[in-house]
Amino acid sequence: MHKKSNEPIVILIPAKNEVNTVGQIVSTIKTRLALQVIVIDDASTDKTASMARAAGAIVLPLPFSLGAWGAIQTGLRYAFKHGFNTAITMDADGQHRADSIPALLAPLASGQCDVVIGAYPERGSFLRQFAWSFFRFVSGVTLSDLTSGLRAYNRTAIKLLASSNATLLDYQDMGVLILLQKAKLHVSEIPILMYSRIDGHSRIFSSWWAVSQYMLHTGILCIARFKHNKRKKT
Amino acid sequence: MSYQLTSAILGLFLAGTILWLIRRDHLHSRHALWWFLLALIVMFLGIFPSIIDWIATQLGVNYPPTLLFILGMGMILVKVISIDLHQSSLERKMRRLAQRLAMLEGEKSIISTTNDGNKQIN
Repeated sequence: MHKKSNEPIVILIPAKNEVNTVGQIVSTIKTRLALQVIVIDDASTDKTASMARAAGAIVLPLPFSLGAWGAIQTGLRYAFKHGFNTAITMDADGQHRADSIPALLAPLASGQCDVVIGAYPERGSFLRQFAWSFFRFVSGVTLSDLTSGLRAYNRTAIKLLASSNATLLDYQDMGVLILLQKAKLHVSEIPILMYSRIDGHSRIFSSWWAVSQYMLHTGILCIARFKHNKRKKT
Repeated sequence: MSYQLTSAILGLFLAGTILWLIRRDHLHSRHALWWFLLALIVMFLGIFPSIIDWIATQLGVNYPPTLLFILGMGMILVKVISIDLHQSSLERKMRRLAQRLAMLEGEKSIISTTNDGNKQIN
């Protein structure tokens, strides 16, 4: 098998009201790695978009909020359309280090897998761990960190996730993993270090109400896709 | 006043309202067919309510009104599910559209910056 080239590479950062962190993240990546950075502005009400633009990112401004996954998919569609062979997604809240990116790229470059997830499974309360075990059991996904936002996708994965089959998902976690699994793409995990968030808090685990909504939503998603064949056409 | 007259008035009124809405173009033609058929059924059953009794006896239903309620609720359920299906497909389209818009705006900003200055993006 010939070695696949994983360039050009693009970094996708979905951001909603992250004015305090987004500029620094973009400029760190730009100076250290010299990669194309795209910030998807999920209808922020502050100056997130202009900060990102000033730091040298291309900004894709959504007209209204589509949520974390909707924003990431915008970036993936852009990456697919513009011929990028690798897309790396990162959170805009400063949790992920730019130094972790080369480690993510290595397994993709060798062609042994389609998606690499930067995993930090130790985090999370007992309750969250318990919920994850349940989701793992129902969906058959065997990864340890189900919600990590630091991921690298190759062109095959970008194409799959940019399709309209993935449009009605709400988070970049179980639904996406199940889609990848059904399409028989290889997903691997590598351990990474994470900063605690510079600013802000988890969008999913923000309040009890949000948590229960998320749990219910993901639970239903897992059960619905349980041994159920994905429609082939896009 | 006999119950036949009451049901006939109700049936005609309902059917009339539906037909009026269809004629005024308030309903998309896809929905109009469903509602047109419904209007006909309502009108027919309103004028000849004893048809329900006859069908119920044929189907072995002891108390005819339950048949009416079950059929009615069944039709409402079908309609509501079809609305949710339609709603989901609209949601999918709307999200794709918003994403497309964001992509276009991003592309436009690249073009304008490369045209304005010599700033190279890529």
